[in-house]
Amino acid sequence: MIGALEVVAYVAAAAVALYGVLTTVRNRPPDRTHRIAVGAFEGILLIQAVIAAVRVFGGVSLPEQSTFLIYLLVSVCVMPIGLQFATAEPTRWGGTVIAVAAIGTGVAVWRLHGLWAAGGV
Amino acid sequence: MSEQPERPRRSATATGPGRILIAVYAIFALSATARAAVQIAGKFSEAPVAYLLSGLAGVVYILATIGLAGRKPGYRRLAWAAVVFELVGVLVIGTLTVFDTGDFPDDTVWSVYGRGYGFIPLILPFVGLWWLRHTRARH
Repeated sequence: MIGALEVVAYVAAAAVALYGVLTTVRNRPPDRTHRIAVGAFEGILLIQAVIAAVRVFGGVSLPEQSTFLIYLLVSVCVMPIGLQFATAEPTRWGGTVIAVAAIGTGVAVWRLHGLWAAGGV
Repeated sequence: MSEQPERPRRSATATGPGRILIAVYAIFALSATARAAVQIAGKFSEAPVAYLLSGLAGVVYILATIGLAGRKPGYRRLAWAAVVFELVGVLVIGTLTVFDTGDFPDDTVWSVYGRGYGFIPLILPFVGLWWLRHTRARH
């Protein structure tokens, strides 16, 4: 899709997921560091979504355009909801909830990559 | 339903590690439902049975998520029903697709025991049943 940014998104997803699991192992509830990490990851996803949406609406045609746009929307929605759910009950398990959201988002980005590549752009 | 202070959180499925399970169910609810919506809206005639199954799987994941996230007894029954249905679904559809792929021209979440989703659809109902059993009230 946007090569470099996509790689940054995977690295950020992995970092957020690992940090979340780490705090579960260390018996710590989600704290400010989680919020900052999720915020940074979400920023990358938003930049990616805006660029991709602009290119799709600006004339790039994909075989499964509606599916692509739904995945694009999913890719930016999961982290805020996941963070909210993770911090609503401040226990050690919140970190892993954030990790699950980050992995799910990473898979969504991977699906976006496949749908974009199918367009041969 | 009156409050039962003698076993307040003991039987709640939506607390502690159960929240991880709910997060996984919610992601499957979202992805299965979105996928089915696109399939049914865009190319229903290609494989109506598979797409209806996709939609059914999505609904089952939504009901399981709601059931596990709720704290009243009715929600627990809903979770049991949804997770058992999910288990039967993934086993039946998984087996059918392994032995006869002809009837399923397009993949569903449960095809080949959820291979397209890292076999998580096969593992998830077992974890769900274990968690429901683990958290149920002890008398």
